[in-house]
Amino acid sequence: MAKHKHWGGRLYLIFAFALLYTPILYLIYYSFSSGTNMSTFKGFTLSHYQTLFSDSRLIVILLDTLLIALLSSLVATIVGTMGALGIHTLKQRKLQNFILSLNNILMVSPDVIIGASFLILFTTLGIALGFGSVLASHIAFSIPIVVLLVLPRLKEMNGSMVDAARDLGANRWQILSKVILPYILPSIFSGFFMALTYSLDDFAVTFFVTGNGFATLSVEIYSRARQGINLEINALSAIMFIFSILLIVGYYFINQYTQSRRNKRQRGGAYLQ
Amino acid sequence: MARSETILALQHVYKYFDDFLALDDVSFTLDQGKFYSFLGPSGSGKTTILRIVSGLILADKGQVLFDGEDITNLPAEKRKVNTVFQNYALFPHLNVFDNVAFGLNLRKVPKSEIEDRVADILRVTRMSGFENRMISELSGGQQQRIAIARAIVNEPRLLLLDESLSALDQKLRQQMQYELRSLQQRLGITFLFVTHDQEEALAVSDEIIVMNDGKLQQSGSPVDIYDEPINHFVADFIGESNIVPGTMIQDFEVEFVGKRFECADAGMRPNEAVEVVLRPEDIEVTTQDQGKLVVQVDSQLFRGDHFEITSHDEDGNQWLIHTTNSVEDIEKVGLNFTPQALHVMRFGEEEEDFDARLSQYEEGDNTES
Amino acid sequence: MTTLNHKTRQWSYFSLYFIWIALFVIAPVALIIYQSFFGLDHQLTLANYKNYLSSAVYLKMTLNSFVYAFLITLITLVISYPTAYFLTKLKHRQLWILLIILPTWINLLLKAYAFIGIFSQTGAVNHFLTFMGIGPQQILFTNTSFVLVAAYIQIPFMILPIYNSLVDIDPAVIQASHDLGANNFQTLWRVIFPISINGVRSGVQAVFIPSLSLFMITRLIGGNRVITLGTAIEEHFLTTMNWGMGSTIGVILILIMFLTMTLTSGTRKAGTRKNHGKA
Repeated sequence: MAKHKHWGGRLYLIFAFALLYTPILYLIYYSFSSGTNMSTFKGFTLSHYQTLFSDSRLIVILLDTLLIALLSSLVATIVGTMGALGIHTLKQRKLQNFILSLNNILMVSPDVIIGASFLILFTTLGIALGFGSVLASHIAFSIPIVVLLVLPRLKEMNGSMVDAARDLGANRWQILSKVILPYILPSIFSGFFMALTYSLDDFAVTFFVTGNGFATLSVEIYSRARQGINLEINALSAIMFIFSILLIVGYYFINQYTQSRRNKRQRGGAYLQ
Repeated sequence: MARSETILALQHVYKYFDDFLALDDVSFTLDQGKFYSFLGPSGSGKTTILRIVSGLILADKGQVLFDGEDITNLPAEKRKVNTVFQNYALFPHLNVFDNVAFGLNLRKVPKSEIEDRVADILRVTRMSGFENRMISELSGGQQQRIAIARAIVNEPRLLLLDESLSALDQKLRQQMQYELRSLQQRLGITFLFVTHDQEEALAVSDEIIVMNDGKLQQSGSPVDIYDEPINHFVADFIGESNIVPGTMIQDFEVEFVGKRFECADAGMRPNEAVEVVLRPEDIEVTTQDQGKLVVQVDSQLFRGDHFEITSHDEDGNQWLIHTTNSVEDIEKVGLNFTPQALHVMRFGEEEEDFDARLSQYEEGDNTES
Repeated sequence: MTTLNHKTRQWSYFSLYFIWIALFVIAPVALIIYQSFFGLDHQLTLANYKNYLSSAVYLKMTLNSFVYAFLITLITLVISYPTAYFLTKLKHRQLWILLIILPTWINLLLKAYAFIGIFSQTGAVNHFLTFMGIGPQQILFTNTSFVLVAAYIQIPFMILPIYNSLVDIDPAVIQASHDLGANNFQTLWRVIFPISINGVRSGVQAVFIPSLSLFMITRLIGGNRVITLGTAIEEHFLTTMNWGMGSTIGVILILIMFLTMTLTSGTRKAGTRKNHGKA
C-alpha cells in the first residue's frame, strides 16, 4: 500500500514539474524554428540567435540591466546589513518590531503601488527619470530582503561570542570586523544574491520609474511582446534560462558546502576523544 | 599556604536589572593564587558578579578594585581578566590556533611569540596537534580545553569560569574538575569559578562563597561550609541534611524532638529558638533501646556505596540516613550520633557574628577566613 | 559614558538605513495618500474618492479584482499543496526544491510571453483541442487565460512556504498519530494540515496580494483591457496621467492589502513570507 501511494505521489510530481517547465521549454523549442510564430516548427535554425547577438540595442539594454542589478544589490546589501546590525543592537523588543514592520512594507506592497508611489516621489523631488531613478528604486526594494536574511543569522549568533571578544580585548570595531561580520557573511551573501534576483526579475517598478530613454530587459521584452511574437525573444529566453541554471547550480553547491560544514559541527558533538 | 596579597575586592556592590535587585550590597576580597567558587542556585546573582568583575556589565553602586586599582567603570576589553564562558563562546569561523591567538593578535604581539605561546598553552591543555581543526570538529571536552586555553594564553591575573563544566557529561565533568584544579595549581592564577553544582564546588575550591537572592550567605573552606553552615539555606543547599527546629537550653545543650542532647555549640541566649543540622552520614543506626532517637523506617534505597534510608520520628520530622548496613523494612530503629555531629544554627545571624562566635567557643579547629 | 558611545554607535549603523526608511518607505506612502486628494486641476478635493465610491465601473473592477485574485489563489493552492507534500517525501529534497525555485528566476515577462504562443489561435492548446475534436477556441485575451497564467506564475511562491512548514514537522508527531490509530488520510487531515496551516497562510498572502494588482499579465494575456485595480492604476499613472485618481485606487489597494494581511495573519511567524523570490 505504501508503495502504491509512493507512485501516486511521483506521478503527481511529474505532472507538477511538467506544468512548471512546459512553457519555458516551449519557448526554447521555438527559438530554433525558422518560422515566425510559435505554432508550427518550420525547421532548425540558429538565425534568431544571430539576430540577437547583432542587436546592439538589446545588448546595451542587457549591459544596463546587469549594471543596475550589480550596483543596486551591492548598495542594498551594505545598507541592509547595517540596518540589520542596528536593529539587532536595539534593546526594546517593541521598537525592533516597529522598525521591522516599516522594513516589511516594501516586501508586502504590490509592485504597482511601489512603482506608482516612487514615481510620485521622484517627480516631487524633481529627479529626472532614467538610470538614476531606476537604480534608486532597485536599491530601495532590495534593502528589506537583505535585512530579513541577515537579521536571523545575527539572532542565531551566540551573544557570549561578542562578550568573549570583548573579554579578550577587542574594541567595538574589532568585534564587528573580526567576529560579527565573518560570522554573518553567509547571510550577507545570500542577501546580495537575493537582491540580484529581485533586480533582474523586476518589471513593474522599473516600468513606472523609467523614462523614455532608458529601459531594462524586462521593459524591453514587454514592449516587444506587446507587438506580438518575435522569435528573437525566444532565443533570449533560452540564453537566460541557461544563465539561470548556471546560477542555481552555483547556489546549490555553495549551499551544499555550508550545509556539510554545519553537519560536521553536529557530528563533532557526538564523538568524544 | 602563605597568606598572599589581595587581587580583587568588591565593596558594597549593587546591581539592578530594571526593578529587580540582582546584587544586594556585595563585598568580598579574593587573594592571589587561590581557587574560589561562587556557589548558588540559578538567579542568585553569581553570574552577575562574574560579569561585573569581567567588565561586561558595570555595577550600579559600589566599587571594584583590582590590584588596589579602581576598575569599577573600566570596560571589559581593558581589564586584565579573562573568562571561560558557559557555552565556551568559541569563534566558529576560526580554527583552534586562531581562536587561541585571538587576544594576542589584538594586542599586536609579534607573530613568532604568538606561535610559541599558543603552542605552549595547547601543550598545557593537552591539545597539541589540533591547531588547524575547526571548532565544529571538536568534541565537548576539547572545546572546553580550547576555551580555557584561549583565556589563559593572555596570562590574566584572574581567570573567570562561568558554569564552565555544566555542558559536559558526568564522567568528563569529573575528569575536567581534576584538570582544572591541577591547571590552577601549576599556573598560580587566581580562579573564580561560578557553579550551581555544590559537589563540584566542594571538590575543586580553596574557598567557597555561597550566594542566594543577590546576597552573600557564607564564605569559607569547603570543609567549614559543609560542617558549619550558617543558616538553613546553606545547610540545605550544600550536601544533604536533616534540619529540625529546636531550643538552645544552655551552652553545649540543645533540645529537639522533646529530648535534650549534648552538642558542640555555644554562645547563644538560653532557651533561644534554633535550628539543628544533622548530616545523614553522621547518623548511626542501632537498636531501639541503644539509640538517642527512635524513628520509624519508611523506605530504603540502595545507592551503590551506601543505603539511603528515609524515616520519621514521633513528632513527624523526616530523617535521612546514609548507612552501609541495610535495615529491614517497616521497622523501628534507634539513631545514634556524637555531640560533634550536631550543628546548631541561630535565626538571622550575620556571617561576621557567626565567625566571631565560632572562633570564641570552638576549641581545636580554627577557622580560616 | 559607555551608554553614550553605545547610542552613537547605534545611530551610525542606522543612519543610511533610516534615510532609506524615511525616503522610500514613509515618504512614498505619505505621498500617494496626499496625491489621492488632488484632482486633475491640482485642487485639493475629495472628488476622487466620491468618484470611486459612486462609480459602478470602479466598484465592479474592485469586485472583479477580488474574484480573480481569489480564483488565482485557489487554483495555486490546489496545485501546490500536494506538490509540497510529495516533495517532502523525496530524497535530495534540496535539489528538487531548487528546481521549483528555478522557474521564478526566468523573467516573468518571458513566461507570460510563452503563453501568447501556447494559447494563440494556432498554438499548442488549440492544436490539442482540435485533435480532441472540440475545435480551436479563443483562449488568449480572455479572463480565463489571465487567471491561468497568473496562477502558473504564482505556483512556486505557494509551494515554498507550504513546503517549509511541512518539512519542519517532527516525524515523531506523524508516528504518534499512526500509533493513536489514525490512518494516512486522518493523519493528513487532522495532524499534518493543521500544523502546516501557517505555511498555507504565508502562501496565500504571497499570492493573493500580488494577484490583486497584476497589470502586465492582464495587458499581455487578458487582452488590452482595464479589468483589475492594477491595470487601473497603471492606466491612470502612465496613460491618462490622472495621478490623483490613480493614487486613490492605490490607497484603496493598500487598505485591501492590510485587510488581507490581518485576515490571514493568525499566529504566523514573522519573516516566513516570500523568502525565495518576488512575484
